[in-house]
Amino acid sequence: MRAKEGRAVETLLQAVASGVLIGLVYALISVGLSLIFGLMEIVNFAHGEFLMLAMFASFWFHLLWGLDPLVSLPLVAILLGLVGLVTNRLVIAQIIRAPMLAQIFATFGLGLFLRSLAQFLWTPDFRLIQNPWLSRLFGGRVEIVRGVFVGVPQVAAALLAAVAFAALYLFITRSKTGLALQAVAEDKETAALMGINSQRMFDLGWVLGSACVGIAGAALASFYYIYPEVGGTFALIAYVVVALGGFGSVPGALVAGLVVGLVEILSPVMLGIAPSLKYAVVFTVYLLVVLIRPQGLMGRF
Amino acid sequence: MALLEIQGLTKIFGGLTAIDDLSFRVEEGEIVGLIGPNGAGKTTVFNCVSGFYEPTKGRLHFAGHEITGWAPHRICHLSMARTFQIVRTFPDLSVLENVMVGAFSRTGNRGQAKQAARRVLELTGLAAKADMRGGSLTIADKKRLEMARALATKPRLLMLDEVMAGLNPTERQAAVELVRRVRAEGLTILMVEHVMEVIMPISDRIVVLNYGRKIAEGRPETIALDDQVIAAYLGEKYRGSR
Amino acid sequence: MKTTHLTGQTLIALALALALVIFPLIVSSPVTRNLMILVFLYAGLAQAWNIVGGFAGQVSLGNAIFFAVGGYTSTLLLQHVAVSPWLGALAGAALAMILALIVGWPVFRLGGHYFAIATIAIGEIALALMANWEAVGGARGLTISFVRDGNGRPADTWLWFQFNQNKLPYYFIALALMITLAGLTAWLDRNKPGFYFRAIKNDQDAARSLGVNVLRYKLLAFVLSAAFTALLGTFYAQYLLFIDPESMLALRLSVLIALVAILGGVGTVWGPILGSFVLIPLGELSRAHLGGSGRAVDLIIYGALIVLISVFQPAGLMGLGRRLRGR
Repeated sequence: MRAKEGRAVETLLQAVASGVLIGLVYALISVGLSLIFGLMEIVNFAHGEFLMLAMFASFWFHLLWGLDPLVSLPLVAILLGLVGLVTNRLVIAQIIRAPMLAQIFATFGLGLFLRSLAQFLWTPDFRLIQNPWLSRLFGGRVEIVRGVFVGVPQVAAALLAAVAFAALYLFITRSKTGLALQAVAEDKETAALMGINSQRMFDLGWVLGSACVGIAGAALASFYYIYPEVGGTFALIAYVVVALGGFGSVPGALVAGLVVGLVEILSPVMLGIAPSLKYAVVFTVYLLVVLIRPQGLMGRF
Repeated sequence: MALLEIQGLTKIFGGLTAIDDLSFRVEEGEIVGLIGPNGAGKTTVFNCVSGFYEPTKGRLHFAGHEITGWAPHRICHLSMARTFQIVRTFPDLSVLENVMVGAFSRTGNRGQAKQAARRVLELTGLAAKADMRGGSLTIADKKRLEMARALATKPRLLMLDEVMAGLNPTERQAAVELVRRVRAEGLTILMVEHVMEVIMPISDRIVVLNYGRKIAEGRPETIALDDQVIAAYLGEKYRGSR
Repeated sequence: MKTTHLTGQTLIALALALALVIFPLIVSSPVTRNLMILVFLYAGLAQAWNIVGGFAGQVSLGNAIFFAVGGYTSTLLLQHVAVSPWLGALAGAALAMILALIVGWPVFRLGGHYFAIATIAIGEIALALMANWEAVGGARGLTISFVRDGNGRPADTWLWFQFNQNKLPYYFIALALMITLAGLTAWLDRNKPGFYFRAIKNDQDAARSLGVNVLRYKLLAFVLSAAFTALLGTFYAQYLLFIDPESMLALRLSVLIALVAILGGVGTVWGPILGSFVLIPLGELSRAHLGGSGRAVDLIIYGALIVLISVFQPAGLMGLGRRLRGR
């Protein structure tokens, strides 16, 4: 009897650990989306494809130049920041005053374009980075508690996400530019009266948000399968996280990311459903949030 | 019983108390003016009464029903209509179609809605522009259109939110004429206004708001001489200066 | 004058309908007939999408799910309970409407983004679900067996909605569906629902102040869109006699439906028809030339098209026509 109970507890702890770890990554992926919406009230429907690009970038840096994903991470972050900036200038700037239909389609079309282009250039095959440095560290996995193992790349990804998140939060709340960013999100016109250039802040929002996605993607590349469609699932998770945390709320994204991560990993364990249904559970969470508390846990909208 | 009765209305947003324990009535057939310095909460009152905001405290009665917490479309069906401070005509619909949307609240029949809409366009002087796109009108015409649209819902109470703002003197004259004509048709009107030369002569009664509280209520002549009102608008040092 | 303009459109519509009815009697190539059936199908699907997306302005990026609900429901009922696909179509439409209500009701009270996200989500989840659910065929899909005549050959039967020897009825059914949907949309457009949809799209709050029950009409638009899409799903199932998650649920389908509508011109009755007549033949042509290498070239073009249309010509081809005519 005791052994069985012990194993059940272990399984639960294992799920909780995995949930928290992936939840932190979800938070980092989602915070960019939330930031951009807070600034411009535009949802980037190509967000998942940005993540996919980041993951592929890590992959190609590794395959072509032997760079470990951890090493190429800063490069990927900068690259994605650039992608975000270009997107803002080329596409978003044209549709910022357009009706919502055009706005939704513009980024959705972009995502579709990127996804299909990736499939054309790199085939739909699943790729994996072989033997990244992190998978060799400490033998590849760490035992947190007795019987509960987590992969080193996963822990590293979570730590990176946490650090990046903290850095972003500090930047937004403590630095002058960060406060300017908040001001524009709060009230564009008044911010302009105080000399804050909202155009620049929009650029910054896109750069920061996309760089975060870049970091997340590079972190995931150490252990996650890389393929053109990978953006789809993560985008879905990101939307749910942002809705749950509250559109525009940075701390909300953290709390919501953890919740979604836990729900996703725990639902097969606790509800006894098939793993392929776990996204259905996540989506049900989305519907419930929307029903019960539309502004999310900590949102303003 | 009064057509509109506001009892103890309070609206709090987060830390800000926008309206504080406001009570007043509007009797059928009156024109009541709601005035006050900027930020006094006038539009918030409209939003609460017309169902766009849910009151934090207080009760609202209209046409014999308690409407506290009712949705805007339900309140419209009870015969209350409103215009918006920042004009919100439907840009992609023609002038006629804009008004037909209002008319459809009273009928499901397209022919009837069209007829009713045309009648309102005649009343408001927009008949010649019936086929123009809503988005292509001048501000003055857009405001007129908003009123026409609201009138098409056959209201008993019409709430006008700063219809005079942004109009030149000629346009203002025309707007005042329109309000008088509308009242002559039997409607009750509650107006928010900043332009004193307009609202004082036209209103039967005035309610003055400051910082979300009612500070005075009465006939326009009395209000103009009221100490607190003067202080609210011109500052404390003018109090008692009459 | 408005009245003659409308009669002018009706005349064009009648002429076009007549031409399309005569068409198969002149052109007998099965390839061309198949192409026309696809054109009619996508025109219908885009028309259905247009009700909620173009008129009411609520962007659905997952309408394919209703296509699948229609096709799968009628097929499963046929296979397990021997129900005629015509009845199955109605059951599929009913189920689609229920699904639309369940998804729409929570999200329609909020901004348009929430709805778009919800439709993407159900699309993705449905695909994963159906591909793994063995009871409905999983990834392999479902095959509808031929109804055979006395000699054992695949027969033509109206009862079981199969035409294996003379495929012409498929053409006329598809044409009839497209015309009916266009007619229905035109009716909606001219009457109260259409006015309310457009009011909601232009300014929700102003609409509310005029007595429009915004939630109810958004749901109406979505439910109608779902039902019509489901009916077309049943048609498709009976046309190909084979359905699988890939052909019924893939993102490509939802994208194409929306693209046909926005290319033609959202919020217009002719837009979906125009868009379909332009895009579908081009799509088939390019597929023939570039080959089905599975490398998603058509999606690259679709994605780019969507971006370009949104940025430069959101009113689509119909809008272009208006611009050229100087309006």
